[in-house]
Amino acid sequence: MIIFDGGMGSELEKRGLTGIPEELNITHAEEIKAIHRAYSAADIVTTATFGLNGIKYHGKYGIKEIAEAAVENARASGKKVFFDVGPTGAMLKPMGTLTFDRAYEAYAEIAEITKDIVDGYIVETFSDVYEIKACVLALKEHSDKPIFATMTFDSSARTLTGSTPEIVALVLEGLGVDALGANCSLGPRELFPIAERFLACTDVPVIIQPNRGLPRMENGRSIYDLTEDEFVYWTKKYISAGVSVVGGCCGTTPEFIRRISEFSGRKVKSHKTQHGTSICSATKQVVVENVKVCGERLNPTGKKKLKEAVERGDMDYLVDEAIKQQEAGADLLDLNVGIPKIDEAQALSAAVEKIQEYVDLPIQIDSSDKTAIERAVRIYNGVPLINSVNGDDDVMDRVFPIAKKYGAVVLGLAMDERGVPKTAKERYAIAKKIVERAAAYGIPKHKIMIDTLVLTASAEQSLVKETVEALRLVRRLGVKTALGVSNVSFGLPNRGLLNKTFLTMAMTSGLNMPIMNPLDGEMMGAVKAFGVLSNIDGNAEEYISTYKDYNAPTAAVVTGSADKTVANLYDCIKKGVRSQAAALAEKELETSDPMTVINEVLIKSLEEVGRLFDGGKLFLPQLVSSAEAAKTAFEVVGKRLPKGAEKATVVLATVKGDVHDIGKNIVKVVLESYGYKVIDLGKDVPVRTVVEAYEKYRPLAIGLSALMTTTVGGMEETIKALRAANCTSKIFVGGAVITADIAKEIDADYYTENALEFVKVLDSITK
Amino acid sequence: MSSLLKSRIYAYLGESGETDGLIDECLEEIASTARFRYAYKTFAEPPEFLRREPYSKFLEGTRGVILSVMTLGRETDKRIGVLARTDMAKSVVYDACASAYLEQLADEYEERFGEDRTYRFCPGYGGSDIKDVKYIIELVKPEATGVTLTESGYMLPLKSMAGIIGIGKKTEKTCAGCAQLAHCNYRQEGKRCYGSENK
Repeated sequence: MIIFDGGMGSELEKRGLTGIPEELNITHAEEIKAIHRAYSAADIVTTATFGLNGIKYHGKYGIKEIAEAAVENARASGKKVFFDVGPTGAMLKPMGTLTFDRAYEAYAEIAEITKDIVDGYIVETFSDVYEIKACVLALKEHSDKPIFATMTFDSSARTLTGSTPEIVALVLEGLGVDALGANCSLGPRELFPIAERFLACTDVPVIIQPNRGLPRMENGRSIYDLTEDEFVYWTKKYISAGVSVVGGCCGTTPEFIRRISEFSGRKVKSHKTQHGTSICSATKQVVVENVKVCGERLNPTGKKKLKEAVERGDMDYLVDEAIKQQEAGADLLDLNVGIPKIDEAQALSAAVEKIQEYVDLPIQIDSSDKTAIERAVRIYNGVPLINSVNGDDDVMDRVFPIAKKYGAVVLGLAMDERGVPKTAKERYAIAKKIVERAAAYGIPKHKIMIDTLVLTASAEQSLVKETVEALRLVRRLGVKTALGVSNVSFGLPNRGLLNKTFLTMAMTSGLNMPIMNPLDGEMMGAVKAFGVLSNIDGNAEEYISTYKDYNAPTAAVVTGSADKTVANLYDCIKKGVRSQAAALAEKELETSDPMTVINEVLIKSLEEVGRLFDGGKLFLPQLVSSAEAAKTAFEVVGKRLPKGAEKATVVLATVKGDVHDIGKNIVKVVLESYGYKVIDLGKDVPVRTVVEAYEKYRPLAIGLSALMTTTVGGMEETIKALRAANCTSKIFVGGAVITADIAKEIDADYYTENALEFVKVLDSITK
Repeated sequence: MSSLLKSRIYAYLGESGETDGLIDECLEEIASTARFRYAYKTFAEPPEFLRREPYSKFLEGTRGVILSVMTLGRETDKRIGVLARTDMAKSVVYDACASAYLEQLADEYEERFGEDRTYRFCPGYGGSDIKDVKYIIELVKPEATGVTLTESGYMLPLKSMAGIIGIGKKTEKTCAGCAQLAHCNYRQEGKRCYGSENK
């Protein structure tokens, strides 16, 4: 049992010390020392450095100067000193603008300064699991001192960024911290269920530092009412539940800590837990049990369009595929970008970052390139599955250290350098070797899964049953299993039938994770049916909720426009019924040539929509619906256009420093509806990226958006850089705060008030 | 749904029966995914940055001021981003509904401050500098809400607000002093951006 100290802020307030707490280490060293001495009943005291990092602190002293003074002050207690590390106060990408690497560097700086003068680190009050990952990695890579890490939770038992205690434990345990848990947030009573959840899911010592109850506000100040007796009562409860480290947070005082110090050194009940095989994103944990579907569509093997998208670095295509699989019910997603002649490490980590911006599902990082795997696992916000190792020692020696360092789960293929063995027994032997080798690296069984490998029935018909039998054997090792199911049907007709039948055979034999196409309704149906028939889906609840309307199939539901029927393409666009646009465009092409369809139907209809919009008869959502329908129609018609008849390219970006991109997105869909090809650089786009896009695409126009007065500077800078690159594209600017005068002032070519005007000006340039 | 909520949404999106179904659908989703949080601090005397125009005029005759920060959380931002890829029209409606919903929840939360108070004045109104949000963030320290300030000076999550409320004087929103007054699209249609119908 270890006792930490209590609140610092309230003690400063009591002594009338205001100002930046970190600076008080220098300006009021004696007072700070006195507070630390008052806490000397604790086993470990923490420095007054919560806000001290290069991103949050911009005061008059150097970080090194404050850090050293703070440690010296804490030493006055005569106890062990842990350096207090708090969050940066900025939001990480993709929701924010701070990069993972920059957060990492800020914490690495702290570690470098303090590694030889402290006894350990207390990383506390974090609310973003991604940020705490950056912090723990930085500390671990620059110091060998113990790290205790705690996050804050709200009454829904989630962090601000949506992580559960189980996800927090999975990530922090994976990173190898020495104690993990919760601090601040709530009082001891409210934090108790969260402590119990930690104790149930991790073997790492659990640390709990609650506030002094829930405060009430009085004249704008927080007043804490919980008594010392109550705090002692709860601390005792924590200890008997198995919590190993206790202390206090906001509102607790030296007297609280003196009272609980009687528990110091007491033996803590062990809390060995039964681990399942778990992977997670920041907000979604997948425990691999029963059957969990891994979406296979983000793998370029045999997929021409995806391969081309990866080659040209079109991450949007990957994101759309990821969203589709999530919506179809996949539990996790395989991600592979391994194609010749690209920088796989760069492409894989870029894909991971982009996909985790939109999709909550955990990711299976699929690569044979060690550098690519490590970069992707590092940048991943959560605990991923690595695909894969096999029985080849060299491969295992490359991948296991990465898995160990980040706590990732590893998929092992039951084959080795000699190839795939024929019999189930031989595959089992390799699986066993993989599990043992992992153990030698300190990777427990629950972090390993085995793929018993599917061979195609057309080439190796007699071996299909060996794969299935191997599943049975491998499960005896106590590991979960996976299969790339659809390989079985390669080279045979009606592949779907074989895939579905094989999937059912495999699930019956203990397959936990089919890697398959979740957009295939029959395959997903087989998984759901298996759930009912094997008594996994209790009361067939999930099955029923999926199929309750099965006898009354309705037309494809498209949000907001499901009930509209339209007779022709013109009306379809005018009314914005995207779901019917492709079919009606095909119909139109039966009787007219592509250019006529574009000029006489698409553009005419859009023009009417534009007039209605300008006249206030129709509003933004309808305009956008129409544009989306026209865009869908254009995709169909565009394929029939003679070469050279395509419209020009436009590059769009929301400028550096700004992440408000809805206006830019509206412009994008409207331009596309008129047939322009849009290269969308996204939001918060660095100046350099815009210039590079100009040089790469030589577009007709570059459209820049900024919503805030504060980001017009970023716009101006971008234009300056484009001019310096002798940009010949027309530069358009727009956004809530932009006016024609501002546009002129910052040297743009055009200001357009809305998306339709943008199109009008573009059309007039091209005429 | 309150009529004020709907009139705010109409003010952003235009009033059309065609989108009513979509608006209801979006509001329902927002109500289940948003994680509304509100942090505030009370001051007997206005902090330094409020001792100039237009704040000093706004606070004239009050006997205290509440600074507040509120948000729908990052889940809402994320959903808008996903919708921008799968259904742009819905994304536009969702975005507008989220803004109106945040205003609505903030109004409801603020009922606890009693009736004798001003409306919530946000930096950027009436010619004030939107960058002043940073003073509110510094003073309220809204860490528990998850609201942060970017280097460019705006708040994240995007669906967040920072407000100033004067205590001891009742005022309601008007267009007086608005920088957009001369060329306001809402006013031309007889509407107000803040949704009230008759002012």
